[in-house]
Amino acid sequence: MSDDEAPSPSRRKLFKSLSLVPIAAVAIAGCARETDKPAGADRHAGDYHPAFFNAAEWAFIVAACERLIPPDDVGPSASQAGVPEFIDRHMQTPYASGDIWYMQGPFIEAAPQFGYQGRLPVRDILRVGIKGIDAHCAKQFAKTFAQLGTGDQESVLKSAEAGKLPLENISAKEFFSQLLNETRMGYFCDPKHGGNKHMAAWKMIGYPGMRADYANWVGVRDRPYPLAPVDLAGKRG
Amino acid sequence: MAIVKPKVDAVIVGLGWTGAIMAKELTDAGLTVVALERGPDRDTQPDFAYPRVVDELEGSIHRKFLQSLAKETITARHGIKDTAVPYRQMGSFKPGTGVGGAGTHWSGCHFRALREDFNLRSNLRQRYGAKFIPENMSIADFPLSYEDLEPHFDHFEHVCGTSGKAGVLNGVKIPGGNPFEGSRSREFPLPPNRDYLGAELFYKAARERGYNPYPIPASNASAPYVNPYGCQMGPCNFCGFCSDYGCLNYSKASPNVSILPVLRLRKAFELRAHAQVLKVNLDGASSRATGVTYLDAEGKETEQPADLVLLCAFSLFNVHLMLLSGIGKPYDPVAGSGSVGRNYSYQNLNRVTLFFDEKVQANGFIGIGGGGATFDDLNGNQLDNAKAGFIGGGVIWARQPGSGPIRGITTAPGVPNWGSAWKQGVKDAFRHSFYYEVQGACMSYRSNYLDLDPTYRDAFGRPLLRMTFDWDANEIRASQFLVGKALDLCKVLNPRALSGDAKKSGEHYNITRYQSTHTCGGAIMGADPKTSALNRYLQSWDVPNVFAPGANAFPQNNGYNPTGMVGALTYWAAKAIREQYLKSPGALVHA
Amino acid sequence: MIPIGCLVVLVLGAWIYASLPTHTRSMAISPQQPNAAAIERGRYLAVAADCTACHTEPGGRPFAGGLAIDSPLGAIYSTNITPDPATGIGKFTQDDFDRAVRHGIDDEGVTLYPAMPYPSYARMSDEDIAALYAYFMHAVDPAPGTDHVNGIRWPLSIRWPLALWRKVFAPSPDAAPFDASKYKDAVVARGAYLVQGPGHCGACHTPRAITLQEKSLDDSADSFLAGGQRIGGWVAVNLRGNIGDGLGNWSKEDIVATLHTARNSQQAVVGAPMSEVVVHSTQHLSDADLQAVAAYLKTLPPTAGDSPKFAANPATAAALLEGHEANRGAELYDDNCAACHRSDGGGSPNALPKIAGNPSVLAEDPESLIRLVLAGSALPGTAAAPSPLAMPGFAWRMSNDEVAQLLTFIRGSWGNQAASVSAGQVGRVRASLDAK
Repeated sequence: MSDDEAPSPSRRKLFKSLSLVPIAAVAIAGCARETDKPAGADRHAGDYHPAFFNAAEWAFIVAACERLIPPDDVGPSASQAGVPEFIDRHMQTPYASGDIWYMQGPFIEAAPQFGYQGRLPVRDILRVGIKGIDAHCAKQFAKTFAQLGTGDQESVLKSAEAGKLPLENISAKEFFSQLLNETRMGYFCDPKHGGNKHMAAWKMIGYPGMRADYANWVGVRDRPYPLAPVDLAGKRG
Repeated sequence: MAIVKPKVDAVIVGLGWTGAIMAKELTDAGLTVVALERGPDRDTQPDFAYPRVVDELEGSIHRKFLQSLAKETITARHGIKDTAVPYRQMGSFKPGTGVGGAGTHWSGCHFRALREDFNLRSNLRQRYGAKFIPENMSIADFPLSYEDLEPHFDHFEHVCGTSGKAGVLNGVKIPGGNPFEGSRSREFPLPPNRDYLGAELFYKAARERGYNPYPIPASNASAPYVNPYGCQMGPCNFCGFCSDYGCLNYSKASPNVSILPVLRLRKAFELRAHAQVLKVNLDGASSRATGVTYLDAEGKETEQPADLVLLCAFSLFNVHLMLLSGIGKPYDPVAGSGSVGRNYSYQNLNRVTLFFDEKVQANGFIGIGGGGATFDDLNGNQLDNAKAGFIGGGVIWARQPGSGPIRGITTAPGVPNWGSAWKQGVKDAFRHSFYYEVQGACMSYRSNYLDLDPTYRDAFGRPLLRMTFDWDANEIRASQFLVGKALDLCKVLNPRALSGDAKKSGEHYNITRYQSTHTCGGAIMGADPKTSALNRYLQSWDVPNVFAPGANAFPQNNGYNPTGMVGALTYWAAKAIREQYLKSPGALVHA
Repeated sequence: MIPIGCLVVLVLGAWIYASLPTHTRSMAISPQQPNAAAIERGRYLAVAADCTACHTEPGGRPFAGGLAIDSPLGAIYSTNITPDPATGIGKFTQDDFDRAVRHGIDDEGVTLYPAMPYPSYARMSDEDIAALYAYFMHAVDPAPGTDHVNGIRWPLSIRWPLALWRKVFAPSPDAAPFDASKYKDAVVARGAYLVQGPGHCGACHTPRAITLQEKSLDDSADSFLAGGQRIGGWVAVNLRGNIGDGLGNWSKEDIVATLHTARNSQQAVVGAPMSEVVVHSTQHLSDADLQAVAAYLKTLPPTAGDSPKFAANPATAAALLEGHEANRGAELYDDNCAACHRSDGGGSPNALPKIAGNPSVLAEDPESLIRLVLAGSALPGTAAAPSPLAMPGFAWRMSNDEVAQLLTFIRGSWGNQAASVSAGQVGRVRASLDAK
């Protein structure tokens, strides 16, 4: 049974959530299934309903994260770990609206050693960047980013990372770096924040999570640290 | 109309290490003291309660315990002809906020300066001749000696329960400590902490290369401790959350753990949190401070009259307040005149990372901020600067303050930033790598300084502090030399991969990358009021009832972390206030 | 069934008995011109008796009363004991004062609620009462107090049955004078006097009978200071020589340090009630008096019968050190407790309390322990030990069942031998916390 023929149960739930957004957006999401062997990112989006991203943005986030942290034998993929959910929730925090950044103008060009000097907080960097990349993909491939095959998605992301993608209103490099940061945070954060489902990313690297107590293990050299991770809620991974 | 509070003997601006020390010493002397802290009140409970405090996203991304740049920040530029832009996102350095200040989220490295760090300029002149010091390098001697400060270094270490091993005790070298240090009058209050793998291997490699490794003096308690004030510390449990975080079990010395418990019981001491000081008020002749003006917790403008004003904010903001208040003459780099803003310096921090195979249990999540090992064979007079080709030495150390995946996992060279290979790379690196660092001195230069920005303003409408700073070729040579030595040291341990980040020739200061919160200078202590803002007692030359303890007083920075020196200088200044100033208020040094 | 006529006769008889005035002798010492020594002695006794605990409102004038004291019957408000003539004790003669303090009778002949520990104060000497009187009349600032209507409703607010209670249960000072000769030396006798008399330790630490009187007022019975009362949700510790839930393993120095600083090298005061006693009262006592109290407490033998025990056992620590977790309770210990209390349950001397052999952990009634784990507790800063060391609460992180498993593990590990804890017990404490 191919993904193109019958949506998985989780995808049906996604459709349900999408019924709340404008028809056009649903159509875009629908295209993603039918026109190409899709990257399939939305397969693992679970039943989370994005509250920050609209359908097009969400499709991008799910697809892009899945390229940054793909499924393989090493550990969970971004969507398996709940990274898109994390990002959607994180974009709704004061941090993402710039509460700890200096946000006053004038906003002038400066050397990269001085950091991002634009006026956008993280959440708008992502939104504007997603729009820009999708516009680029529409021009080059006549598809959204999410509709591209995995190979094309990777090359678009590589160009963005290298700053070789001219985007409207945002440096592709800045956008990519924020997207990658958010993706990594969602992968490795405490599950309370929506990502790192079942502490799977912690288990992959052997991080004990919220334990913060290693007095017994400072001098142990001959065997790996044995205890399973624990999260903020007190669950064991 | 501003609210006017009843006058007190002393008002303290900022309640971190220097503010807490001053409050303790001055209430001991019978003074009434009000401390104004711009951030919230904080204590181990509830603010650093286990396990909530170790949420990496909150601590290291949302910067829960650090200063919000939205309220106050600086602008930065590389050269005096450039236009400065704001430090918009936290990167290179991390000022704290709230009660305890940066003293709550520091790592715990607790050094004393070397004897020769005190008289840097005259020592270099004597060793290599007057021409050895480049014309643009504005380094200066401290206007006091190691011996002057020794009792205060000692006392501060005993307040902090510093764990370490003396190398020179009452003039006698003893094994296990730093043989090059200034003589100590007492052993450390606590023995050294236990070593994690990277530190253990550091001893091996350093000895094989002929160096003299010793335990980093750490204000992370190696055993339970009760300090001279009766404040209690538990032993460090290597939780891995020092830097960026408050300590969860009373084991890292902080103003909150080591001094404030006493102050909070004192009637003569009052703490006002969420009190943002805007400026120091001066009398008509600008020769005397009458108090400070601040915004109270509700934003109401309030005046606190006081006989003594103690600027105990983070070093950069001490300078900012002096410039905003008109205390002293602002430095002009072109004319070479003025004193406030002069000699801004930093720290030359570089890292080498060693990657091993999966049999090596490096466990980078096990961490202790100030623990580890270092050596001084390339620091102070041990280094032949003429041969090395730069001024100022540094230390190489093994330090593992604790890592977590949100704080970043350094991957081996060649690993991409994303994709399956990245996943494999972080998996391979996380538990099987550690790093050593080179912490170099940073000289001061005529063109590196602080002043007020002409364009940008803070949330309170005041001009931001402007930092003009870039790496000089001297510091780049130092970085290359010391990182080279570190890489050579690492080879002894035969890692499967090795990466190092020596500065490249012509490299500019990158404010987005963390390289220590050791911002120094700007309101330096000195013997000459023309070239220093403060006298040897950290008293303003221009407004003698203002004292400004902090790293702002360093004429340049040495190869060590500044906190030990900052604490000792503050006790030294407090002693001068108690024993000299209070008897006869006025200038303690007549230029 | 008792015929109604009999009941009427009984109540009437009781009323008559209760209403008969109580005659108290006049104090042997006549009020003296206040001298500094007597006033200082009185001040010290007022501290030892912790008068301020009930008679000063937080933020209020010293001894001006008005503090609400919760009782099972409703709130009782403390009285103004400053020498204010209108609302305080300004018009009290020394004998009026004595009748209130040692006999529990106010200046109008009404019996005081026994929240005022007159059954304990009854043991105080005439000299001490005279000194207290001198202090309150001459060294305390008169302050007007506000009249509070006690929150106790009719018919429980009828006072005459209190007189009955007093006549049956509160000893007359002359009937039960403090007898120093009972004790082996003067130090122990001084300790006994402080504990039984002004210190009124038994008011919390001695179990009460169903009729609410302390089961014993001195060491003649082994119920004395045997602990178990719940005070504000915290269980008063057994102060007798039991190894386990008592002070059997404590040294005199441990006791002195606890009274002086709210902590000793191994353990700490748990909960607000005793913290307040240390802050207001015991930290200010002289070292000699604290030594005397410790010496006396160490003479109290363990209670008879079965009680929680402690016999050190290294097995738990050895397993945890290797990362072996026998059950969910052990996991929860590693995940929540070990960061401070260590895998050997030993805490850290002079900093973090040990769990192994700690009487607060081993108490028969686990109420305190449950409350501590759910809500946390902070030590008060004292002059000699200013650090407000505290434990956070974990109610947000563990279910009732998990807390029960954790505490059952703790009460059965390292040699601790106390009964298991049930999820229902935890649930009841959680509900009482949520209700606050």
